[in-house]
Amino acid sequence: MSDNDTKKPTGDAQPPPKGAPTDTPAAKIGSQPSNPPAGAKLDTPPAAHSAPTAPPPPPAAKPAGPPPPKNPGFVTCTIDGKEVVVKPGTNMIEAARMVGSDIPYFCYHPRLSIAANCRMCMVEASNAPKLVPGCQTPLVEGQVIKTTTPKVKEQQRAVMEFLLLNHPVDCSICDQAGECKLQDYYMRYDYRPSRLEGGKVMKNKRKVLGPRVVLDQERCIICSRCVRFMNEIPKEPQLGIFGRGSHEVIDTFPGSELNSNYSLNTVDICPVGALLSRDFRFRARSWFLSAAPSVCTGCSRGCNIYADFMAQDTYRYRPRENEAVNKSWMCDHGRATYKGLNTGRVLSAVVGRQQGTGTARPEVARKEAIQAAAKALSGVKGQVAVLASPVASNEDLLATLTFAKATLGAKEIYVGGRPQGEADHYLLTADRNPNRKGLELIAQGLGLALKPFEDLVKALDGGKVKALYAVGTEVPGNVETFAQAAAKLDVFVAQATNESPLTAQATVLLPASAHVEFDGSFVQVDGLIQRFRKAYPSKGDAVGHWALAAELSREMGGTAAWTSSREVFRELGKQVAAFAGFDWDKSAPPDREKPGINPLPTAADGRPPGYREFGAPRVRGI
Amino acid sequence: MADTHKPVSPPTPEAPNPDTDAYAHEAELEAHLQTKRMYVNMGPSHPATHGTVRLKVELEGENIAEIDCEIGFLHRGFQKSCENVTWTQCLPYTDRLNYVSAMMNNFGFLNAVEKLIGLEIPERAQYIRVIGSELHRIHDHLTCVGATGMELGGFAPFLFAVEARELIMDRVAELTGARLTTNFGRIGGMNRDLPEGWSEKVIKTLDKVMEHVNEIDGLLSRNRIFVDRTKDTGIITAADAIDYGWTGPCLRACGVDYDVRKVKPYWVYDRMEFDVPVGEKGDNYDRYLMRIEEMKQSDRIIRQALQQIPAGPIILDDWRIALPPKPEVYGTIEGVISHFKLVMEGVQVPAGEVYDCTEAANGELGWYMVSDGSGRPYKVHVRAPGYPILSAVPHIIKGKLLADLIPTFDTINMIGGEVEQ
Repeated sequence: MSDNDTKKPTGDAQPPPKGAPTDTPAAKIGSQPSNPPAGAKLDTPPAAHSAPTAPPPPPAAKPAGPPPPKNPGFVTCTIDGKEVVVKPGTNMIEAARMVGSDIPYFCYHPRLSIAANCRMCMVEASNAPKLVPGCQTPLVEGQVIKTTTPKVKEQQRAVMEFLLLNHPVDCSICDQAGECKLQDYYMRYDYRPSRLEGGKVMKNKRKVLGPRVVLDQERCIICSRCVRFMNEIPKEPQLGIFGRGSHEVIDTFPGSELNSNYSLNTVDICPVGALLSRDFRFRARSWFLSAAPSVCTGCSRGCNIYADFMAQDTYRYRPRENEAVNKSWMCDHGRATYKGLNTGRVLSAVVGRQQGTGTARPEVARKEAIQAAAKALSGVKGQVAVLASPVASNEDLLATLTFAKATLGAKEIYVGGRPQGEADHYLLTADRNPNRKGLELIAQGLGLALKPFEDLVKALDGGKVKALYAVGTEVPGNVETFAQAAAKLDVFVAQATNESPLTAQATVLLPASAHVEFDGSFVQVDGLIQRFRKAYPSKGDAVGHWALAAELSREMGGTAAWTSSREVFRELGKQVAAFAGFDWDKSAPPDREKPGINPLPTAADGRPPGYREFGAPRVRGI
Repeated sequence: MADTHKPVSPPTPEAPNPDTDAYAHEAELEAHLQTKRMYVNMGPSHPATHGTVRLKVELEGENIAEIDCEIGFLHRGFQKSCENVTWTQCLPYTDRLNYVSAMMNNFGFLNAVEKLIGLEIPERAQYIRVIGSELHRIHDHLTCVGATGMELGGFAPFLFAVEARELIMDRVAELTGARLTTNFGRIGGMNRDLPEGWSEKVIKTLDKVMEHVNEIDGLLSRNRIFVDRTKDTGIITAADAIDYGWTGPCLRACGVDYDVRKVKPYWVYDRMEFDVPVGEKGDNYDRYLMRIEEMKQSDRIIRQALQQIPAGPIILDDWRIALPPKPEVYGTIEGVISHFKLVMEGVQVPAGEVYDCTEAANGELGWYMVSDGSGRPYKVHVRAPGYPILSAVPHIIKGKLLADLIPTFDTINMIGGEVEQ
């Protein structure tokens, strides 16, 4: 997680097709964000302007006072012997990063206010007699900064020694091990034995701060990032610093708890292992996890995330920077949605309804189920109602709706999806489906009418619908009552990722992949098309909705020949005007550090990372 | 178009077939043996060659018309494997290069990594490296000389050699914990000090080993059969040897005085008094003599080193390079962080490239390494001394007797592990 605050926005989203291409990383299709993210408005400084491109300095009038700036409108100074040109007000850490000098820091965060309390970023400046904190000090014209002098190094070593003085010997049981700034910086700036004589100051090692966060006060270095985050980003000041000196601790105010919907971001920005997610704690070691760039499906905001996975299980979501959508943050509601990827999944095909509770249903090969579904659907061509879920990706919807239109003769689509929830004041939207916009665009592109879910309920109750083809079995209403209505259907072919009372009523149930199991795209609430990457192969017998549609289509005499979601998008996406300018390949977020073949990349040998020959590694399951 | 390949007249069906009818050519009945070329495979597993290599020999009578050395039976992808592990984890792979003198590979690799980082290892560690290397040089030469004797018909020298070798292996096992694959030494020094009382044992062992060496010397060096088979066979000129990239005892047998220990002294070789034997003719006998003499010189070096070796640390006290002492790891956060980072991410070797070489038993063991600044090598290339030497075998042996191939192959001392990596 320590890298989360050092990366520049990646610009995953593609510009829309309308008008000339823009160079903003994320152009919008629709209106302005309906729920604009509030919070710190720091913006990363622009790339260094080289001197030749800047306008020439004005003719020298030689007034008294400081010399005129070398590049008017910008500040020019020298860092470690290299000239750097930055906007006025840029701090030294950001400027140094531009010329490849790394100034270490704990408390600084580009999206938070400056505290300058960790003292790790002290550097030598030509206009100051003592070392100055790099995070707090704006650059001035002609300044010369040095970040590697013996004086600076001694300061860094001393700071590390103080920070480790009372730090418990915890790496072997600490969740942060492997992604901890203390570890990184100790090896880079200190690397000396302890000089502590006597005991360390003991504090509370498991202070439960709220429903999702637990604090180890001994590991805390009091950088105050979490306190500033809660004050400034979600603007819910729930944390404070109490006590003095060695007995200073982070805590909640008496009688309250850390229950904000953004509380887990404090775990991400904690540079050490003090704040921990109660959900992820002791589940996996960070170096066994691989990360796939993905998109959160918890609501229609489409926060960019990394899905951290091992073998065929996702262990956590982490926010991935995207200036246009979620900056560096995401909500706790979205983080919890990874659980549906691991448990309660439909893993094999089933033919026939469940007879009473507790009875096992016969699992059949997918091929057999496809044949059964094709046979059932062939008998009712033209009379099949189609229910599409906005949880499915663009590729899924393109393929399934094309199949519904061309083969089943559907003209209208009922919109399913998860029930609406409460929007909060920052990122979370009321629409809990990641791809409603995509469904609307695709239906429009294919010439299909969208009808609300209530119409389907009425039609079912009225006995007008006898056959239903469902792409995703999430429903906005009460799932129990809808399942009872669905029990009366003659034909109910359902493609589902997760089990529900509704899937129990399917006459043919087909297992579908979740979004981390294939490459695809969503359209988020503001109209941004966002690509996500495959993390691992589908669990069980599942394939993508699009692949199920292709199999069904072929079984019913169609010619659908798509073999990948990429092909689906290239072939069918043409019909959707909004997708025309979207480069499916180029807009995929990079999934490895370096281009080319990495020595140990994610799944380089075709096996999922963390794969072991004899079953999954012995890590406590989810 | 006329078919030019068509015989002028069709063969009569009654005419004898020279391939099947023994009486086809009357002349053959009274004749000499047919002189057609014979193709023989020696190896990959042949009792008269030690080392897994297939020699495709084309014989013209008893003379070798063509020979092709086919290697690859012990290929392990050593260089590529190194890119997937930390620098320290490469070390056990180097054991398998020249597995008869594993410590020399260990130390050669470590020396190159240390040069890339820019480290000066503690004096005591340098002495231990010299002692270990020279012990294994004797070990390697004993194997070569013993096997040569055996493959030329004398079993006794082999038994003497193996007994001496066993004594050295016991000392090596006491020192490193392993008989063959030692995995000894770490970046920045050694992982283990000399065991208590080990030095005295080594002196006694050397006395015994040298007794055996003298015995072998006596059995072989003036032995008529041995001398006839080795003298003036397998000759290579100094110029050719240099062209092929020969190094080590094989090159010195040609009269070229090149020994990395003298030319570019590393560790504490410049404090040792020892001579570099140089041959004259570059034949098998000279190569054999080089090894006998080098064992005696190694004996001298070890005795001096054991006398001179100072007390002191055996590994650098830098927690970015060497693992902290265990009490520090278990008891302090500084120690546990350092241990964690060194084990999980490896020693951070600064970006750059290096070539470094040491004098291994068969010659110059060179390492070309590139680091991208991470804990794992970006590229490791090893210049194994055996490879260029083996590649000159066709040049040496073409046109010579098949019987000469055996001593030649013996004295160049091909080791499959290092040739094929």
